[in-house]
Amino acid sequence: MKDAEKIEIDRRYCKGCMLCKYICPSDVFEPGQTRSDLDYLMPRVANLENCRVCGLCEMHCPDMCMTVIAKKKRKEKK
Amino acid sequence: MNPLGEKYLRKDFLPFLFCPGCGDGMIVQAFLQAVDDLGCVDDLALTAGIGCSAWIGVYMHVDILKVLHGRAIPAAIGIKATNPSRKVVTFTGDGDCLAIGGNHLLHAARRNIDMTVVMVNNQIYAMTGGQVAPSTVVGSKTQTTPYGNIEKQLDGCKVAIAAGATMVSRWSTAQPKQLTRAFKKALNHKGFSFIEIMSQCPVQTGRYLLGSSSPQFNFQWLKDHCVKEEDPSKWAEIEAQGKIPVGDFLQIEQPEFMEEVARMNQRVKEAQAKGGDR
Repeated sequence: MKDAEKIEIDRRYCKGCMLCKYICPSDVFEPGQTRSDLDYLMPRVANLENCRVCGLCEMHCPDMCMTVIAKKKRKEKK
Repeated sequence: MNPLGEKYLRKDFLPFLFCPGCGDGMIVQAFLQAVDDLGCVDDLALTAGIGCSAWIGVYMHVDILKVLHGRAIPAAIGIKATNPSRKVVTFTGDGDCLAIGGNHLLHAARRNIDMTVVMVNNQIYAMTGGQVAPSTVVGSKTQTTPYGNIEKQLDGCKVAIAAGATMVSRWSTAQPKQLTRAFKKALNHKGFSFIEIMSQCPVQTGRYLLGSSSPQFNFQWLKDHCVKEEDPSKWAEIEAQGKIPVGDFLQIEQPEFMEEVARMNQRVKEAQAKGGDR
């Protein structure tokens, strides 16, 4: 089972639709209090330890601003 | 930014002009995933008409022609005729493809020209403010049908099958994996490919047709209402329940138009060399 090292949400492009929170099966996100550059409330990564790097949030993000970085495995590749 | 976006998007055009929660961004991603897997980005040529969905191609770092409303398919035929090695993809919306450009769809499908038409269906004219479209469901209240729509809706996939398209699929933005697979199939297919994508439009469809402008609600609506069913005899049953059959409906091999043109030219040249006139 994979673990996530980091989930990046690009604050330049996020429009705060919260589809990532809706689609996530492991409850990683929660509504945050910071605003993106486009003045929308962004989601916040609350429970990173729950993430299993399924990539659903990355695949469903309509603004392509999510990047899920897995632990170790991807590091070795680089 | 997503690694795919870093690789293929025009950074100076970002952010997307799509509303928060719009399905068009997911289509960009699914298409780029298919292109990335096939490695055919240099062969691509895109055309687009007018509408929200016509902007899908504009953000990608590939050749694109943005033309008059409804005339994206003739422009694509032009590109294909002058350079048959190109993989031509047309992004249109339901109004662009079925209403204003309806005749072009019919005749491109009839001739079986090797191109891919991606029709993004959000069931309404979204960019202009929520007017009734050919794909709007009967009974829905829009800006131009305040007492309910009385016109029967037009099914793009059935039109394409009847007109003679050789690859027809319908998926929704709630199924991005299947969508990527359909894009790959269409790009590799020799002949006219038609992909209809049911997409969520929280701002217009959601607010006026479905009753909620929340992106999550619209996404869930698509998930609940798109049922995989590839057998045409069962579509009527599903449609009677208010649901939408999705799947890869058709894939057959037939003579392709540009190859036929080349063959005809060859035949005429040979006949003329022998002394005949045709």
